[in-house]
Amino acid sequence: MKCFARILGIAVGAVFLIAGAMKAWNPAQFASDVQNYRLLTWTSVVMVALYLPWLEIVSGAALVFGIARRGSIAICTGLMLVFIGALISAKLRGLDIDCGCFGHTGPHGITWPLLRDALLLAALLFLLFRETRAPR
Amino acid sequence: MRRQIVALLLLALAPALLAAFFHPRRPSWRTDEITVAVAQSWKDALWLDARPRDAFEHAHVPGALLLNEDEWNDLLPAVLDAWNPDRNVVVYCSSLSCQASRDVARRLREEAQFSRVFVLQGGWEAWEKTHR
Repeated sequence: MKCFARILGIAVGAVFLIAGAMKAWNPAQFASDVQNYRLLTWTSVVMVALYLPWLEIVSGAALVFGIARRGSIAICTGLMLVFIGALISAKLRGLDIDCGCFGHTGPHGITWPLLRDALLLAALLFLLFRETRAPR
Repeated sequence: MRRQIVALLLLALAPALLAAFFHPRRPSWRTDEITVAVAQSWKDALWLDARPRDAFEHAHVPGALLLNEDEWNDLLPAVLDAWNPDRNVVVYCSSLSCQASRDVARRLREEAQFSRVFVLQGGWEAWEKTHR
């Protein structure tokens, strides 16, 4: 089980690392994607577009290399809850937008990203549960 | 755990600050969305329709040029001919929920080095509403 949790951590961390890198490559594009959700003012959108990709990269890398494991799992779980909340809100408002989760790759729409994020959240909750129960 | 979270949050801040000042594709802090009323007050604005060709041919803002991503290479030369650096450019797509106008506006800034590119809030739907 320990080995499984380690591999799962690496896999989830890698997803965050790649997603963050793809957004950090073109923050202007990512800002446009965030703006499409119509949840934030433009100034907040710019701040998110500049900071969030690096938070994903740092947390993802920490998870992959097993550094600050509890902290990185907690941050990734928080981010995933925010992403899912934004996707659900877009779906409920009928927005015809790209997820923006991995730059502009992947299929158009938000149903598939929502399912993928739900799976990632399940994996992160499992890891968080294990970490918080494990002796320090 | 709290200390780790704070450390990671701070660690991400350094490259984000660098990106804010030096990234070649950093977003502009200036908002680029405008209302129909503001756009109409610009008498010399260049209007660009980012919707598919059939929607443009059905109806469009008077004087607007078609520029969508599907026909980008074919349509861009006409836009370049009509543009000059002193003209504000207003890009619109079908409604509040569409994305095409933002994508076209971004490509104009990045690929054609246009400045003063704005996205029409609410798109064609908003324009139609104010001209019924």
